[in-house]
Amino acid sequence: MVILFRHVFVVGLGMSNVGRFYERSLRDLAGEALFKAIDDAGNAVPSFILVSNMLSSQVEQENLASLIADYCGLRGISGFKVEAACGSGGAALIAGYSLVSSGLADVVAVVGVEKLSERSTPEVARGLAYAADADFEIPYGISFSGLNALVMRYYMNKYDVRREEMSAWPILMHENGYHNPHAHLKMRITHDDVVKSPIIADPIRLLDSCPMSDGAAALILASDEVAREYSDTPVLIAGIGNALDSTDISSRFELDSFLASRLSSERAFKMAGLSPKDVDVAELHDAYSINGVITLEDVGFAPKGKGAKLVVEGKFRPGDKPSINTSGGLKSRGHPVGATGVYQVCEVSMQLRGDFPGIKVSGEVGLTQNIGGVGSNITTIILRR
Amino acid sequence: MSFQRIWRLKDILLNLVGIKCSDCGYTSYPPKAACPKCSSRNVSRISLGSSGKVVSYTVINVPIEGFENMLPLVIALVETDNGRVLTQLTNVKPEEVYIGMEVEATVRRSATTLDGYVPYIVKFKRSSTNNA
Ligand SMILES: [Zn+2]
Repeated sequence: MVILFRHVFVVGLGMSNVGRFYERSLRDLAGEALFKAIDDAGNAVPSFILVSNMLSSQVEQENLASLIADYCGLRGISGFKVEAACGSGGAALIAGYSLVSSGLADVVAVVGVEKLSERSTPEVARGLAYAADADFEIPYGISFSGLNALVMRYYMNKYDVRREEMSAWPILMHENGYHNPHAHLKMRITHDDVVKSPIIADPIRLLDSCPMSDGAAALILASDEVAREYSDTPVLIAGIGNALDSTDISSRFELDSFLASRLSSERAFKMAGLSPKDVDVAELHDAYSINGVITLEDVGFAPKGKGAKLVVEGKFRPGDKPSINTSGGLKSRGHPVGATGVYQVCEVSMQLRGDFPGIKVSGEVGLTQNIGGVGSNITTIILRR
Repeated sequence: MSFQRIWRLKDILLNLVGIKCSDCGYTSYPPKAACPKCSSRNVSRISLGSSGKVVSYTVINVPIEGFENMLPLVIALVETDNGRVLTQLTNVKPEEVYIGMEVEATVRRSATTLDGYVPYIVKFKRSSTNNA
């Protein structure tokens, strides 16, 4: 049973561009996002900073809360880093929500940051594979793309989904992301581009796959008692839920569905007193085309096995209910791994506030879903204007 | 991947040791300290056996660090009577693999560990009773 002490609002947000920024450091990116969020929240001073990140060890830096707080002139406040693989952002938001809701803090900054462009692709691929089972999967040389490819082939075979039907997802993502000023890959693509792109891990092609991005996003969360001091357009976190599944995919109960997507969605919807049909705009975690398609189904926006077919039929475009990934999703906006869950909440909050800088859609209820591992640590958040 | 890890896991990796729950009978791999279905700690070790069927597979062209010399890498999920295992396929061309293919276990060398040792692990090859 959820005993809610205080409602929690998003009162400020800020994002860096997403891309590969050889000249910029982790702290520089985080600082840009945090200062933008603080400015957006009328100079709110957070008493807590939570930093979400997965792979900072690749740039030889841990202890990120101290680093970023001090870099941004906040020495002396409270904080720590939260890690849940690619789902770190959502996990940090659960921690931030809890701090504000419980009364331990009135104003909390959640800063997601990732810096990947300093390392080679095999090094980053190995780091990402650490979200899988290091004892029982890594010895075989499986990559994160490879694990998702196993799911994609299983799904396509079981539901008789053709290659061109899967391609509808990345085509829609790039169409949306083309208009998003902070997106990593601002280009339109065709089905031909998808099937001619190199195979990363068959059947996953380069254009089924998100880019490895640098980027930082920040949110300022505040309690209902003070939210209006910082924002005229606070966005309510109406529901928030997390669920875990096995790190290995061998022992999954199902290979064509993410248990943690279903459970975390159910938890978030129950807390908000809402259902999938109430959602106007959503950001789903499409690290690969298959993840977008499967989570459309597991969140409750499409029947099982029909996700890709509905995208082909023109569902989920901007203005549809729900509009999915108006940012371009991980595919086009990009995937600054530990920051992605924070980007998603920034983007949906802006849609609800009416100031999203890309394709605008109207709506009152938003949803974000952030995935760590191959569906092994998932956070779903319901936002309300 | 270190030599110590391979040494510590050798019995499980070479014999494909999973678990069977004494309370609900569920079997799975890799081994856990409690049953994934009913949470019971009454689990005993059980071998997956040495044969199964491919339920999904992929061919990796972009490797993780340490596997650059093993491309293209054919990875499969193999369903045995006692659980599913993620494994490499060997002695087979990527284009010959299909869902439902019958395979059997064989011990082969894997990629040199990051600390310089040559580990041996169980891979699967096309079943010798099924040369179709
Ligand atoms: Zn059991």
